[in-house]
Amino acid sequence: MNGKNLLGRFLNQRFRALVRKEFNQIRRDRRLVLSLILPPLIQLLLFGSVLSPAVTNLRLGVVDEDSSMYSRELIAALSQSKSFRLSAGYYSVERLGQALERDQIDAGIVIPYDFSRNLVRGRPTTVQVLVNAINANTAEISRGYIEGVIDTYNRGLAGAGIHADFQRRAAPEVSDRGQVGLHPAFLYNPGLATSWFIVTGLFGLLLIMNGSIAASTMMVKEREAGTLEQLLMTPADTSEIIIAKIAPLFALLCVMTFISLGVMKIAFDVPFRGSVLLVFCGAALCLLSGIGIGTFIATFTRSAQQAQLTSFFINPPLSSLSGALTPVEAMPHLMQPLTVINPIYHFGVIARATLIKGSGLAALWPHFLALLAFTVVLVSLSVWRFRKQLS
Amino acid sequence: MRRVLAQFRKEVIQILRDRLALALAFLLPLLQLLLMGTSLSLTVKDIPIIVQDLDDSPASHRLIDAFRASLTFHIVPWPVDRNPEGAFLANTARGALIIPQHFGWEVTRGSTSAVQLLVDASDANTAKLVAGYAVQIVRAYNDRNAGSIHSRPVEPAIRFWFNPGLSSGKFYGPGIFVLAISMFPPLLATLAMAREGERKTILQVYVSNISAHEFLLGKIAAFMALALCECFVLLAVLFSLFGVSLAGDPTPLLVATVLYVFCVASFGTMVGAAIPNQVAAMQTVLLGGFLLVFMLSGLLFPLENVPTGLRWLSNFVWGRYYIEIVRDAFLQGGGWAAAWYKVLIIGGIGSIFYAAAWRSLRRMQLNL
Repeated sequence: MNGKNLLGRFLNQRFRALVRKEFNQIRRDRRLVLSLILPPLIQLLLFGSVLSPAVTNLRLGVVDEDSSMYSRELIAALSQSKSFRLSAGYYSVERLGQALERDQIDAGIVIPYDFSRNLVRGRPTTVQVLVNAINANTAEISRGYIEGVIDTYNRGLAGAGIHADFQRRAAPEVSDRGQVGLHPAFLYNPGLATSWFIVTGLFGLLLIMNGSIAASTMMVKEREAGTLEQLLMTPADTSEIIIAKIAPLFALLCVMTFISLGVMKIAFDVPFRGSVLLVFCGAALCLLSGIGIGTFIATFTRSAQQAQLTSFFINPPLSSLSGALTPVEAMPHLMQPLTVINPIYHFGVIARATLIKGSGLAALWPHFLALLAFTVVLVSLSVWRFRKQLS
Repeated sequence: MRRVLAQFRKEVIQILRDRLALALAFLLPLLQLLLMGTSLSLTVKDIPIIVQDLDDSPASHRLIDAFRASLTFHIVPWPVDRNPEGAFLANTARGALIIPQHFGWEVTRGSTSAVQLLVDASDANTAKLVAGYAVQIVRAYNDRNAGSIHSRPVEPAIRFWFNPGLSSGKFYGPGIFVLAISMFPPLLATLAMAREGERKTILQVYVSNISAHEFLLGKIAAFMALALCECFVLLAVLFSLFGVSLAGDPTPLLVATVLYVFCVASFGTMVGAAIPNQVAAMQTVLLGGFLLVFMLSGLLFPLENVPTGLRWLSNFVWGRYYIEIVRDAFLQGGGWAAAWYKVLIIGGIGSIFYAAAWRSLRRMQLNL
C-alpha cells in the first residue's frame, strides 16, 4: 500500500464520520473530560511539591563537653544553615546515642573536652559526628555538608589568630606542597531546585499512566455496553475504528499536556531553555505510546475493572524502571539497560534536556526515534489483536 | 463465634478460587518489592565525568588518577578543544573537571591552585552528591600529596549509624514492603466487599441470621490472614535479598504488623461497604492506599521536605506510622520506647475504619 493511498483512506468521509462520533461521545461525557484533565494536574502539583529529596532541617543533637567560645562557634556554624537545626543538647554520648535510636534527632555532634585547649595550643583535634544513615542519600549529603562547614570553620580560625601554628606543622619536605582548591559550579540549576527533576520526570509518568488508563476504559466501554458489534457492522476497517477512537482522546490529552507545561512553568519555575515545540512533540509521542499501551490492554480484557487490574501488572514496572523519580544511574547496573524499552525514560530525558538544559534535536533524536517506534509497534499490535479477535 | 468462623471460611475459599485475586495478592507485591526496592535509590554510583586537562603535567595526572581510581566516577573521553557543555547537552557526562594551565607549577610551588568542577545540576540531588564526592577525592589528594595533614585544625570523624554501608535497599526495601501491604490487601478486601454490593449477594447476608459485627469480623479476619501471609513472604524476601535483619526487640514490629493488617483490611472493607461499585471502590482504595502512603509517609523522601501546608495531613496517614516502626525494627532498634504511641495510633485508625464500616452496614438493610 503506498503512502497516498493510506492518507486517502484516513481522509475519506467514513473515517471523518467515525472521528466525529468519537468526539461527540467524549464531549458529552463531562466526567471523562474532567477526569482526563483534572487529576493529572493535581497529581503534578501535589507530587511536585511533596516529593523532594532535599536535605533540610535535620535535627542536630549536641554534646558539648568543652563549652568554650570555639565549640559554641562551631555549633553555631553548623546550625546556621538550612540543612541543620539545633534540636537539643545532651550531657553524655550515651544519651545522644539513645536519642538517635529513638529518632528524636537525625545527627549528633560530640565536641571533646579538650577541643579548645588543643586548638589554642595548635594541636589538631577531632570532633565526632554521628549521622542516622538509614536514608543513604540524606546521610551522604549531610556528610558533604558537615565537612564543608568544618572546612569553613577551619579557615575562619585564621582570623582567631591560631592558624599560624598549624601551617608550621605542615610537613615541609614534600614535593608539591600546594593545595588544590576545588570550585564546583552548578550549571543550569544554580539554586539546586530539586523539584525540576521530579516534575519533569513525573510529567512523562502522568502522560503514560493517564493515556493508558483513559484509552483502555474508552475501548472497553464500547465492549461493555455491547455497542462494539454495531461499530464492527459498519464498513469501517479495524484500524480506522481504533485510530478514530484514539483521535479525540489524543486531542484531549494534548490539552492536558499544554496545561501541565503551564503548571511546570508557573508553579515550579522550571526554565524553558530549549524549544517548547520539541518537548511538545515528545509529549505527543509519549501520549500516543501511552494510548497504545491502553488499547493493547483493552484487547485482553472484557470489563473496566479487569482493565484496571491488568494495568497493575504493567504500571509498577513501567514507573519504577523509568528514572522518573530517581536517577537511572542510581539503579543497579543489571536493571539500567531495561530503561531503554520504557517510553517514560525516553520522554524524561527529552523533557529534562530540553527544558532545563536547552538541548536540541541533534542530541535527542535517538529518544524521539525510540518513542516513535513504541507508538507504531503498540498501535499496530492492538490493531492486529483486534482484527484477530474479530475473525 | 461460629458464624464469624463460617464467614471467614467462605471468604478464604472465595479468595483461593479466584486466580486473578491470588496473583494480585502474592505476585504483584513480590514484583513491586523486587522492582521498586532495588531500583529506587538516589545515591548515584559510577557517574560519567569528562576531564579537560589544560596543564598536562605530572601533578595534574596524579589528580586525574585520583578521580579515575574512585568507584564513584568514571572518566569518559572528551577532546580538550570542545566546549564541555556539549557533553551535558548530549547527556554523556554529569560533571566536567577543568584543570587550568599552570596547575602543576602552582602546586609544586606551594600555593593553592583553583580547579573547576562543572556539574550538570538539572538533577539537583545528584549534582550535590557529585560535588560532595569530588570534594572528598580532592581532600584525599591534598592530604596525600601536599603533606598538609595538619592544615585542618578540626577534623570531623563522621560515623554512619544503623546503615554503615549506606545501602539504599535497606531503606527503600522496608518502605516498599509497607507500600505493598497498604495497597494490595485493602484492594482485595474492597473488591470482595463491593462485589457483594454490586451483584447484590449482600442480600443473602442480610437475610441470614449473621449480625453486622460477625459479618465484618469474618471478612476482615480473612483478609488479615491473607495480608499476614503476604507479610511473611515479603519479609522473607527482605531478609534474604535485601540483607535487612532485626536490629532490636521484634515485639513492637509483631504487634504493629497485626494491628496494621487489621487497619488496612478494615479500610478496604469500609470503602467497599460504602461504595458498592467495584471500579469506583478500587479507585478510592488506590487513592488512600497508594497515593497517600506513597506521598505522605516519608517512604521516598523525608517528610520534612513536604510543604507545611500539606505536612499535617501525614499525621493521619496510617502507613506513615507503620513505615517508621518497620524501619526502626530493622535498622535503628529503638524498641518500645520509640514505637509505643505509633502502635496505638495504628490501632486507633484501624478501629475508626472498622466503626465506619460497621456504621454503613449496621442496619443490614438495602438502601434503595
